[in-house]
Amino acid sequence: MTSNAVEASNLKKAFGEKQVLQDMSFGVSPGDVIGVLGKNGAGKTTLLELMLGFTAPTAGAVRIFGHESYSLPGDIKARVGFVPQQDELLDQLTVADQLRVIASFYPRWDSELIDRLCSEWGVNVNARIKSMSVGERQKLSILLAFGHKPELLILDEPVASLDPIARRQFLEQLLTLSTDEKRAIVFSSHIVSDIERLANRIWILKEGRLDWQGDLDSLKESIVRLHIRGAGPELPAFKIPGVLNVRRDGAFATAVVRDWTPEAQEALEKSASVQIEVETLGLEEIFVELHR
Amino acid sequence: MKAVARLVWAYFTGTPVLRACTIVGLALIAIDLYVVATQPGSGQKLWLAVLGLIFFFVGSSLMPVTFGRLARSHSVGVLPGGRVKLLLSAFITILLVALPVGILSPASFISANSSLPELMKDPRVRDFVLEVTALMFSSAVLFAGWMYLALWFLTSQRDMAGLFKGLIVIMLVIFSPAREIHDFNVSLTWNLQQIAILWFVFGAGFLLWPRFKAVRARRNREWFAGLTRVFTGRTVGREFDVLLGTANPWLLVAVLALPLLLMVRLMGQVPSAWLFFLTIFSGLTGAYSGQAAERSRALWLRGHWSRVELFVAVERSIWRHNAHVLGALVLVIVGMGLYAGFPPVLVAAGFSLVLLGTVLSTYLGLMITRGLRWVEIVAGVVVMLSLMALAMLVGFEDVDLTTVFALEVCMIALAIAFRSVARRRWTRIDWMECRPDRALTARGA
Repeated sequence: MTSNAVEASNLKKAFGEKQVLQDMSFGVSPGDVIGVLGKNGAGKTTLLELMLGFTAPTAGAVRIFGHESYSLPGDIKARVGFVPQQDELLDQLTVADQLRVIASFYPRWDSELIDRLCSEWGVNVNARIKSMSVGERQKLSILLAFGHKPELLILDEPVASLDPIARRQFLEQLLTLSTDEKRAIVFSSHIVSDIERLANRIWILKEGRLDWQGDLDSLKESIVRLHIRGAGPELPAFKIPGVLNVRRDGAFATAVVRDWTPEAQEALEKSASVQIEVETLGLEEIFVELHR
Repeated sequence: MKAVARLVWAYFTGTPVLRACTIVGLALIAIDLYVVATQPGSGQKLWLAVLGLIFFFVGSSLMPVTFGRLARSHSVGVLPGGRVKLLLSAFITILLVALPVGILSPASFISANSSLPELMKDPRVRDFVLEVTALMFSSAVLFAGWMYLALWFLTSQRDMAGLFKGLIVIMLVIFSPAREIHDFNVSLTWNLQQIAILWFVFGAGFLLWPRFKAVRARRNREWFAGLTRVFTGRTVGREFDVLLGTANPWLLVAVLALPLLLMVRLMGQVPSAWLFFLTIFSGLTGAYSGQAAERSRALWLRGHWSRVELFVAVERSIWRHNAHVLGALVLVIVGMGLYAGFPPVLVAAGFSLVLLGTVLSTYLGLMITRGLRWVEIVAGVVVMLSLMALAMLVGFEDVDLTTVFALEVCMIALAIAFRSVARRRWTRIDWMECRPDRALTARGA
């Protein structure tokens, strides 16, 4: 029996001729908070919905708590929470009714937690869902995913419709949840600062592939900007390993590189007789450089 | 005017299939008109133009969908003259769809009477032909207007209110020509009055809707909330049904009540007419099962069901719902039978028709697991036309019961086939292909 919350191997998904996801293998362990980054159409939603068994992979497999995601048994589903990109609320009900309906599906539902969050987040339980704004509906969707204290929480762009205050409250709650070492969280977002603040591991999707997966610190150590200075008036010709982008200007050059190591730096300094200064990049800069 | 023209063009040519339908429709009409106009007495060839007319109508079917989406969007509020142009585009589309009917009217005279060109020299004959042409054209404008309105209500507002409005409009669509045929009092003036009233009321409502919404939002709507709570309040123990939208069958029964009463009042004495309407009403249960796939997405992560088990649970829930509606329709049949003194055979035929309508439409709805596609549309049209034809057949005095029975057996076989297809589709249901369309329900307008 595996200890990972999620495991995927050689995962592929195609819609007709279009390959959306290609050869993905990954694992999500309890305690992981994974931020999924990718441009529009990179396959984030498809990946998350594949993990939840909404759709079948074209090839490969995803397993949640050791079970094939496409045919999850009920006890495993009770350990999973999901916030969809577009809410699936019932317009004609009140918030209280909607909460009651969803709570009835779970053997463990923390009403106290939900009552407290409703009050803190300013969700009016007597309001009819039809009359709520998009942001209020999103708050309710998030509450519905928290109520049964899932061990695996998957969120597809959960903060897209929230105002800054609601976003902060949501992130605080997610931080509280993430301190539980048994819980794994996977969330996608375009707000890189949120991912940087919350995630301890990053997945970067590019053209249907996992271009990077690893912890945030490794990513920041791996993709860096080099400031290169030559001894003479012009830089000699040299090749930078793993270069993503380079700009030369007389005796100076700046380059963004991936998979950078101190050994590579030492080797380059010796072979090209240059001095190299390494600048660490923020996650947003890394994301932009990877997609340049 | 450019925006209006662009919209109208988009309605007829928005997708390759619709573009093809429009072109084929126009070509068939043009060819047939040429043949009929140049070869007097060629009346039997008019069927080609009728076929063209159907193609042309189908070609414009993007109009109610596009109109509905735009009308409910935020963007129409910020477009210069957005609502007026949208309304105008709909009206022009209806005129265009009705135009071939107007043109075909004199053609049908020519085709039926080889000496008509001679007769047309007489001003009285010419006036008569022109009057009939105007009459047919205005009737077509009126009819197409009602049809699009019903389509719009049924497709853009996929809830009880939309269903209710659609049913009322369908009743009016069918009642209006039926009454005119019965009373034989149709006139151009009356048609024009109806068109003016219809478009004035609809246009004013459409253009003033944003203001009305603002006023309504300011008012205390607690009384309305209390009213809806009567229908939606009881959820304990029926959570599965609530998520699936089948928790309250009485809502559908209530929505059916007024059209049913109207039907009894207007056409109660004609057996085929009330059987015809009851068949349409029984088919409405398919509207619920048609949404089951997308709604069940919310159930997948919240229960112990596999995909097959979920289908069984959904099927059971839908039948719990439909049993109530079916019961109400059976009561209507019994009531009607007693009221009008229909023979027991006819009442029994009514039972079987309503049951068949419910079963077929339910499983046809459950087949929709990847959005509404051509296969389901064609199957739906075939089923409804077959049921309606059967209703008309049963209504005849000298009906051959063996034929009716044989047709009903065929339909039972079709229902079994539909269920089998639905079950197979649910075993591999992909919720990425049938997610709820929030864009439609986003409160824009």
